[in-house]
Amino acid sequence: MLTVDAVTKRYGSFTAVNAVSFEAQPGRILGLLGPNGAGKTSTIRMIAYITAPDKGAVRFEGKPVGRWSQERMGYLPEERGLYKKLKVGQQLEYLATLKGLTTADARQRAHQWLERLGGADWYDKRTDELSKGMQQKVQFISTIMHEPDLLILDEPFSGLDPINATLLTDVIQELKQDGRTLLFASHRLESVEQLCDDICLISQGQIVLDGGLREIKRRFGRDTVIVEFEGSTAFLDEIEQAGLAEVLRQRLHRAELRLRPGILPRQVLEVVLRHVDDVIRFESVEPPLNDIFVRVVQDQQGQEAIPEDITL
Amino acid sequence: MDQIWIVLKSEFLRRVRSRWFVLTTLLGPIVMVALTVLPGVITAFAFDRGGRTVAVIDETGRLTPIMQTLAGDQFELVPQQDRSIAEVRQAVIDGEYEGYLHLTAGVMEGTSPVTFYSPDGGGLSIRRSIQDLIDQAVQRQRLLEQDAPPEVLDILNANVGLDMVKLNEEGEEEADQSLAISAVGFVMGFIIYFAVFIYGGTVMYAVIEEKASRVVEVVISSVKPFNLLMGKLLGVGAMGFLQMVLWLVLIVGGATALGFVASASMDPATLNLPADASQQQVMEAANLTLPDISPVVYVWFLLFFLGGYFLYASLFAAIGSAVEQQQDAQGLTFPLTFLVIIPILFITFIIESPNSTLSVVLSMIPFFSPILMVVRVAVSDVSLWQVLLSYSLLIGTFVGSVWLSSRIYRVGILMYGKKPSIADLIKWSRYA
Repeated sequence: MLTVDAVTKRYGSFTAVNAVSFEAQPGRILGLLGPNGAGKTSTIRMIAYITAPDKGAVRFEGKPVGRWSQERMGYLPEERGLYKKLKVGQQLEYLATLKGLTTADARQRAHQWLERLGGADWYDKRTDELSKGMQQKVQFISTIMHEPDLLILDEPFSGLDPINATLLTDVIQELKQDGRTLLFASHRLESVEQLCDDICLISQGQIVLDGGLREIKRRFGRDTVIVEFEGSTAFLDEIEQAGLAEVLRQRLHRAELRLRPGILPRQVLEVVLRHVDDVIRFESVEPPLNDIFVRVVQDQQGQEAIPEDITL
Repeated sequence: MDQIWIVLKSEFLRRVRSRWFVLTTLLGPIVMVALTVLPGVITAFAFDRGGRTVAVIDETGRLTPIMQTLAGDQFELVPQQDRSIAEVRQAVIDGEYEGYLHLTAGVMEGTSPVTFYSPDGGGLSIRRSIQDLIDQAVQRQRLLEQDAPPEVLDILNANVGLDMVKLNEEGEEEADQSLAISAVGFVMGFIIYFAVFIYGGTVMYAVIEEKASRVVEVVISSVKPFNLLMGKLLGVGAMGFLQMVLWLVLIVGGATALGFVASASMDPATLNLPADASQQQVMEAANLTLPDISPVVYVWFLLFFLGGYFLYASLFAAIGSAVEQQQDAQGLTFPLTFLVIIPILFITFIIESPNSTLSVVLSMIPFFSPILMVVRVAVSDVSLWQVLLSYSLLIGTFVGSVWLSSRIYRVGILMYGKKPSIADLIKWSRYA
């Protein structure tokens, strides 16, 4: 189990991480989610023992992190890269021996993993001869080839094509079933919803919400309505004026609404039916993670804490 | 320690296996040997170049034959009894002769000069050979005219070599090689200067590359930044040390072999050596040997090279960690570059007066001693305590610079975005 205990990190007068606490359980995937600049990378660096917290402590299996935990950890940073001029094999061997593997073990596992991810003949190729996607795979192999118990993946899918993203997701699921602790950081809240068991929403260096993903979603209820329709959008104004719901997003033939407390979906549907030519879809759903994030941040830190790239 | 070793090994191997290392290791000595030995070879062979045709207007009427004998195949002297001076002059301008020599009647008595006319004004080597030729011819002719016995002439004909001998403190006599030794001091100083720049630069670019390619964050999730920095410094240092040793071996071996071959084809007489001079003497006279230098000098050379390398390379690494691309490093490396250049300005002074107070003081300053103490040790006998004191100061300083650099490095490698100033680097070094 990974425990982040009231950790604070300052850079000069700027507080990047402010008294952050959370736990990550083995065999589960924890999503550390928040916009850019929220403090995800700063938190991860302290877990990875790259920087030290000013206050608080990070523990893995009850002991403070250190050299020992680095050997049992795999870290895929958001800003990542490889030695361009090294051969793929040399690269993987070097990074794995730094994690404590013997050269022979490192070589064997490098071959194994390359084979599994479709790069059996890459071993003697120079890294910069590989395509971007191939390099991403090599990078991922370097993160997991020493069989880490704690795996930290910062934006693991950025720059990956859908096929490789699926391949990677499979390996991640496998590692989870193996009982390893996985920490997953992303600013694209939607993209990780399906993958995470637990989430930890972070904004302005503070945790605004954490817990099991299912439980959180349930807590916010099915107060979101998705309408797809043919015809005029005029009904949206009427719904808002009548105080039935708030329009979250709207496109030409689609709208997302949040019901006001105590309003039932059928009350909205009645208005919709009076105005549009036809209804293609009307669904009452759990709010997307983005909306939950915005609501929580608004409540706790005020409107100005919501970054512009998160749309309401 | 284990980690430093892994980094060291990786950095060392990837450089030693590179084409750059093989090429510079092999070509470096060729260039250096060529630069040291070629001037000697060229001068030596220039004297030998035969086939110069020179017209002679001999108003004494008796010097030409003897000059022709003495000149051998160095000059072809063509007497011009039938032509007027104007005609000879025209012939020279037309390229028939390289020049003409006007021996006035008073030459034998020393009352009037000899004049050599040539379209290009001659050159130093022609001037010297003609001067020698005339001196000898006149001398010989005068002796002949005084009926000197042939034995006297033989004695005069024998070449006399000049051996320079230096007295040292122990009262032993040593062959004086001051010129060659100065050259060695100069070359050693410059090699350290270049080495500090090249290998220091190698470390800096390695750090920048690691940061620019963003691989560094993966690496420091496995390795302490200090260990990573030390592994790099030691790995590149080991590569540099190996290259230096290979260069020394190749230069000493190559120069000896080349000098040997070149000297075998030379006539001792042209170097003012006795005819039975040994090949070693010929090589020395022709400037074709490395002066014999105490092995201690080579040892200090390598030790000071390492000290200077660690001092400067660690600081270069700190700068590399702060920037994202090579161009951005220039402003920050300027103070360092300046520090390396200062001792170069003093090399000549140190060679001329290696034991003056200023020389002693300069060779104690850690930022200068890698170059200046080596020059002093090469050109003079420096007392051991001075060398040891200078080296201790150097070690102390590079331990300090490695420590300071590792503090800057550990912050710098994670800093992206704005271009840092020296003040930022100092601020980083104070972070907890």
